[in-house]
Amino acid sequence: MTRINALLLLAVVATAIYLVRVQYESRRLFSELDKAHSQARHLAMDVERLEVEKRAQASPGRVERLAREKLEMRQPNPGITTYMSYPADKAGPTAKADTP
Amino acid sequence: MSRSIQYTSSPLLASRTPVWRSKFVVAMIALGFTGLGARAAYIQIINNDFFQRQGVVRFARTIELPANRGRVLDRNGLILASSVPAASIWAIPEDVDMTPAQSQQLAKLLDMRVGDLDKKLADEDKTFVWVKRQVDSETAKAISALELKGIHQSADYLRQYPEGESAAHIVGFTNVEDKGQEGVELFFNQALTGKSGLRHVIKDGRGRVVEDVGAVVPPLPGEDVQLSIDSKIQFFAYQKLKEAVVNNRAHAGSVVVLDANTGELLAMANYPSYNPQKRTNLSGEQLRNRALTDTFEPGSVMKPFTIGIGLESGRIKPETVIDTAPGSISITGVTIRDAHPHGALSVEQIIQVSSNVGTTKIAMQLQPSEMWTTFAAAGFGERPHIEFKGAVSGRLRPYKTWRPIEQATASYGYGLSASLFQMVRSYTVFSHDGQIIPATLMKTDNPALGAPVFSADTAAKIRKMLHMAAGPGGTGPKAQTIGYSVGGKSGTAYKQIGKGYGSEGNRKYRSWFVGMAPIDKPRIIVGVMLDEPTGGQYFGGQVAAPVFSELVQHSLRIMGVQPDISVRPQIVSIAEDESF
Repeated sequence: MTRINALLLLAVVATAIYLVRVQYESRRLFSELDKAHSQARHLAMDVERLEVEKRAQASPGRVERLAREKLEMRQPNPGITTYMSYPADKAGPTAKADTP
Repeated sequence: MSRSIQYTSSPLLASRTPVWRSKFVVAMIALGFTGLGARAAYIQIINNDFFQRQGVVRFARTIELPANRGRVLDRNGLILASSVPAASIWAIPEDVDMTPAQSQQLAKLLDMRVGDLDKKLADEDKTFVWVKRQVDSETAKAISALELKGIHQSADYLRQYPEGESAAHIVGFTNVEDKGQEGVELFFNQALTGKSGLRHVIKDGRGRVVEDVGAVVPPLPGEDVQLSIDSKIQFFAYQKLKEAVVNNRAHAGSVVVLDANTGELLAMANYPSYNPQKRTNLSGEQLRNRALTDTFEPGSVMKPFTIGIGLESGRIKPETVIDTAPGSISITGVTIRDAHPHGALSVEQIIQVSSNVGTTKIAMQLQPSEMWTTFAAAGFGERPHIEFKGAVSGRLRPYKTWRPIEQATASYGYGLSASLFQMVRSYTVFSHDGQIIPATLMKTDNPALGAPVFSADTAAKIRKMLHMAAGPGGTGPKAQTIGYSVGGKSGTAYKQIGKGYGSEGNRKYRSWFVGMAPIDKPRIIVGVMLDEPTGGQYFGGQVAAPVFSELVQHSLRIMGVQPDISVRPQIVSIAEDESF
């Protein structure tokens, strides 16, 4: 009888310690998960920031200025443009041109 | 003997203890346990609420999950406005203890004067002072690297406008609280603003979140707003307008580019403008979206409407000849003049050379009610339905109060007023087979549903006249552009100075041009207005028409519209002289 009691006591103590450990572990993991979440949010915001920055760098104003000043390009006009037309029924770059 | 207990058999230790003593000890222990039990019951059952609350106060926190403000996009999905993370710098003045070198460093990072910074931190009675709000994240990192005592940061958002000043009047801006103040940011503030979420958590002693309590309310991010603006056309429009204003030494200017099929606004720019990100020392001059908020007498731009009524009612035909000699006409004692006397003109030529006398003679055949009805149907005197706060209605007085001279002047655009945007929109009547279509700032793929003002036949006839006006012998030949046929009407008006229109040599002008291209099947309508050009030239056909020409050229190319008139191929390579 005494032996069973001792055994049960041991079991109670062991599960209690285990419970504490699991609780601790779960909180630790949760806080890590939380940290990861907030990191993800930060990264998402960084993406947005960089996207805006990229957009600012590629704004028509800047592109035009660089093209004009650095690359010495100028605006095209219809006088120097050849317009290609596709047959209306099969539009698209793969459409086969009719050869006369 | 019976009242005592003997604990040992050793006679040496045989001191006798009274029984009551052991009973007393047992009773004491029992009392102790009862006390504990009672206390436990008190904590767990009777006063449980109080202790629960205390626990919550110490460990439970409610975290607000901020919702991002939606983005403003152009028709191709390019960003016109977006929120990026930023930091706001604040301080507890009492805790701040900086060396002069440190405060100089901080002031430099924050782009502030040291004096201003010191002044902010001087009042030690305050427990909280904003040093600077919405600092970009790089600066924030540099500041936290300084590890200054008493200087703190909190997360914030900063609105970025990559298109800068060219689209400033349309997009508008937000204040530090992220609330829209102008333009689209103001009009769509509710849709753009998200709803922040909530989260109840338990934090441990070190401030880490260890558990969620209850359900999380996720944040509802703001919706993106996609505009009909094409940022390439918008930029080009702003650029060309700016050049024109500067070259003609004008006071200000506006341009509007409208899609003639859908009623979408492709570009709307004003100069002077401002950078929505650096809004210090802004004046109303810069802030105003003139194209929508400033009205003026539309002048010659109205003539096609008067002629249209005549054509529609069958009173005149394009070939009908009207004698405009001697270049002036007297209506109830007031003389109306042409810039140059022309003699006999056909109706087409009246538009082509913009004859006030000819238009007046036609108007005298019309009823005031007819004119008023048509002008009102074309949107004059009515606030335009556009996604912008502050658009004005202009003025169109009821026809019952018109005197004959007023009917005459109204026929060529005086005595009523409209914004540039209203004028541009009114020209959809001619571009859209006689129907006026609603204009919008939102992207749409559906062709607009119009309300008929004229018949398609009349509209086509007027288009031909507008084409003549923008051609050789017209008032705006400078509106012509390579590859595309254009049509349009120029306008020049004296501005009011005090009570009159100034005297000869002391006049102020306003010049504009409104037209469309390609003329047979218009795709765009463009309006250009310059306020007080002082560079020597002031006729709409001279200062505004060239801007129109460039804008048509550029916009149609971006829209992928093929030229409708044959172009003489140009050889463009500029050969360098060969070196020997």
